[in-house]
Amino acid sequence: MSAMFEHDNEERQARRAFTRRAILMGGAQLLGFSALAWRLFQLQVLDEGRYDPLADENRTSLQVLIPKRGRILDRHGAVLADSEETFRVTLTPALAGDVASVLEEFRRFVPLRQDEVEQIARRAKRQSRNMPITIASDIPFDMLARINLFAPYLPGIRTEVAWRRRCRAGLAAGHVVGYVGSVERPSIDDDALMRMPQVRIGKSGVEAGMEQELRGDGGVQKIEVDARGRMMRNLEVRDPVPGRDVQLTIDTDLQWRVFERVRNERRAACVVLDVKGGEIVAMASTPSYDPALVTDQADEVAWRRLLADTEKPLLNRAIGGQYPPGSTFKMATALAGLHMGAITPGEKLTCRGYYDLADHRFRCWNRTGHGPVSLHEALRESCDVYFFEVARRLGIDAIADMARMLGMGQIYNCGLPQQKAGLVADPDWKRGRWNAGWLAGETVLAGIGQGYMLASPLQLAVMAARVATGRSVEPTIVKYSANPRAGEFPELGLDETKLAAVRSGLKAVVNEEGGTGRNAALGEGKPLVAGKTGTSQVHSHSGNVPQEALPWEQRDHALFIGYVPADAPRYAVAAVVEHGGAGGTVAAPLVRDVMEMVLQVDPAGDAASGGAQGWDRPVRGSNQG
Amino acid sequence: MSYSSGQFAPQSFTAKLWYVNWPVLIVAGLIAAIGCAALYSVAGGSFQPWAERHAFRFLIATAVVLVMAMVRTEVWMRAAYPAYVIALVALALVPVFGTEALGARRWLNVWGMTFQPAELMKLALVAALARYYQWLPVQRVSHPLWIAVPIAMIAVPVILTLRQPDLGTAMLFGVVGLSLMFLSGVSIFYFLAGAAGAVAAAPLIWNNLHDYQRRRIETFLNPDLDPLGAGYHIAQSKIAIGSGGLSGKGFLLGTQSQLDFVPEKHTDFIVTILGEEWGFAGLAVLLGLFALLIALIIVMAWRCQNRFGRLVISGSAVTLFVYVLINVAMVTGLVPVVGVPLPLVSHGGTSMMTLMIGLGLAMSAHVHGGEGIRRKDVGRFW
Repeated sequence: MSAMFEHDNEERQARRAFTRRAILMGGAQLLGFSALAWRLFQLQVLDEGRYDPLADENRTSLQVLIPKRGRILDRHGAVLADSEETFRVTLTPALAGDVASVLEEFRRFVPLRQDEVEQIARRAKRQSRNMPITIASDIPFDMLARINLFAPYLPGIRTEVAWRRRCRAGLAAGHVVGYVGSVERPSIDDDALMRMPQVRIGKSGVEAGMEQELRGDGGVQKIEVDARGRMMRNLEVRDPVPGRDVQLTIDTDLQWRVFERVRNERRAACVVLDVKGGEIVAMASTPSYDPALVTDQADEVAWRRLLADTEKPLLNRAIGGQYPPGSTFKMATALAGLHMGAITPGEKLTCRGYYDLADHRFRCWNRTGHGPVSLHEALRESCDVYFFEVARRLGIDAIADMARMLGMGQIYNCGLPQQKAGLVADPDWKRGRWNAGWLAGETVLAGIGQGYMLASPLQLAVMAARVATGRSVEPTIVKYSANPRAGEFPELGLDETKLAAVRSGLKAVVNEEGGTGRNAALGEGKPLVAGKTGTSQVHSHSGNVPQEALPWEQRDHALFIGYVPADAPRYAVAAVVEHGGAGGTVAAPLVRDVMEMVLQVDPAGDAASGGAQGWDRPVRGSNQG
Repeated sequence: MSYSSGQFAPQSFTAKLWYVNWPVLIVAGLIAAIGCAALYSVAGGSFQPWAERHAFRFLIATAVVLVMAMVRTEVWMRAAYPAYVIALVALALVPVFGTEALGARRWLNVWGMTFQPAELMKLALVAALARYYQWLPVQRVSHPLWIAVPIAMIAVPVILTLRQPDLGTAMLFGVVGLSLMFLSGVSIFYFLAGAAGAVAAAPLIWNNLHDYQRRRIETFLNPDLDPLGAGYHIAQSKIAIGSGGLSGKGFLLGTQSQLDFVPEKHTDFIVTILGEEWGFAGLAVLLGLFALLIALIIVMAWRCQNRFGRLVISGSAVTLFVYVLINVAMVTGLVPVVGVPLPLVSHGGTSMMTLMIGLGLAMSAHVHGGEGIRRKDVGRFW
């Protein structure tokens, strides 16, 4: 009984508290609604004149005018992508009244198939009657003129100007230039321009990366319309501001040649960098696609095929492919060793063909061992054991720092989206990703660019360029008219004699007996090449299984990165051939061919010191039409 | 003076139907009818594609309310905590498994159907808080420890939705949750201290906002900066509403709202077409109907004999109020655009369903409101 009483008492208390609070809250809500009512009164009654300047029967309507998209040009001004004017016709059901009869009338001017008419009628039912439906696009100008002439008999029908993107980049520069498409789902605070159904934005490549430059600003046309929505007169026009042209650093001619060479491989990528300006003069990735096929998804079948293709032709492997750098990374390990004082150029380490650490045996690619080797010889012959020991002495942090200093593990602000940052693994990363401690063996593997480490071909080209110049080369694919990069890149802060020791090793790779990259040499009387081979393991296969015996997907990636001329570097080149096998036999010849083309074309102007002076570059426009 | 349990409890199904708060449903129906008219007009004088579906959805939702009203409140009370936990887990899973749209992850795919955990949370949070205060002895309501529990129950979903990011919903959770604490009698002192703390933390919050959220606030403060950009909607909607004047241009005669390209006309910005075609008079009537609906629900809460019921009913009143306040303030340019629909008027199945299910919970509490639920009946905390 007392429990019941207690309960009632408590219940009464709670109820009283609720009543007081509910009155307070009700008051607050009343206040809120009063504020809203006052705001509406202010907008609709007090300020009425301000928002309804036209008192007569006619109303105004705002129309967004679409700007012309900027062109994309190559370094010599050849057009890679531009926009052409097209005309289209829309039908607004609310203004048309009887859609079927207007369409019947319209068919006298533009032929429409019966199924198209039915489709339009269906769409008219499905969506708001005020939303215009495109009923004909890409119509010729004389047809447009006739429609405009007979406009009074075609209620609800309006003609519009739109822009169609024409991409002339072809397969070779497809990845670089990219393609445009319609805005998928504009968000509420997007530019009003983004809601116009005919607007196209960049989806990939420079089209997407330089979207802000290329797009331009929408204009506004304020028109007076009568009650049926027919345009009476223009009240005010603010012209759209066309997008700016974007000039690339790509040399179309060279791009085509490099691409044709890279295309001999199944999946491969190659980047050519001008080491002084950081300009990407060619960037090829295979398999490729022609943006003209993909723009506006013009060819539905081709688009689906590209998406479904397991070879991933839409992927720009030069920036989006991630590969273990393999032995090409030894130049970084060497530089770190010298920089941190872990080794001297003269010190010899003995390679017996294997390296024991804790209870694990790491093997050199040369099972019989290289014997005692200095830095020069270790680079030349790509001795794994030498770099295992250097890596062990350095520790992972010093290796990772040098990798980052040479440009790995980052995304460059170079005008290209869809770059992959690669991976410079260190203990912090491993703890975060795998929640596991760093193992000494992983440091040793990092020293030869294996293990977790990943880099894109662009990053590898930057590494070669940075080693070649000792400067913090930043790549770009956009040529700035007012060059903010005027002057040279800042020094990396590495000792010149130490850089020289590494460079002499890289020169030996290509030019000395026993070098692993002899296939990259250009030949008698030509400039000398410096570089490093890399053969990165994709699949751990123990023992000496010949590459040819392995399934293609398990074969090693072939890499070569280097620069030319060796003594006065102008161009850095990086190439990766997926599952190509040995870097020295597959990637090195590719880079040699590319370097030959580059020196011949010499896009960066002031000819290389190796004898290409005065070479007359054939001026070739892009494949017009 | 004592109200023993079960005394007023309606027994039969027909008696229960009799106890349903029909005025609330009628006013809600009137508001939904205004919504249909507006949607008919937005579509250019056509029941397709929105008005028809809107009416249909409202009828379904009303049926749901009636069915829920027939179920004993205890059933809902027992479901409160499990529902809260499920909603919380689902919210936490959104960033991992959710589908992305409009730069935000809000949807979760369950057996091929997408649903927004935030919607479930809107209901579960109210029910769980009500359940908590039903259990908590009145003397302990203002004890710091017993305040920390509901604060955590509110804060966790707020933080999870902020990360999606969904500012509007996070705000709704916060306001509704704190309102329920306020109605339960938590000392005013805590609310004052909390407000002071929020002012002090404002710079910190600003730094943690997403770029697009900051941009919204910035263009809100100065919409004329960029008339075609983020301020476009606010400027357009102000023009449309303002051009309506005192009595409006008449049904189907609005031009501003009908002749532009803004697709949200049928959802978040539906007030613009009402304001243009029906003028201040029309919007005043609409606001009046909302005020009446909320007042009816508050009275319903006041008449309820148990704490769980009172709070659940209040929850739907507060939710309604917050939605209306934010939506109208947003389209009239008083607060930044956050993407909140006008309840029962805007087209959209999810928000209507959530609101009506909330009303169903409230109605169940109302129908069974005569039964005083004793603390003992609730049992242990879980």
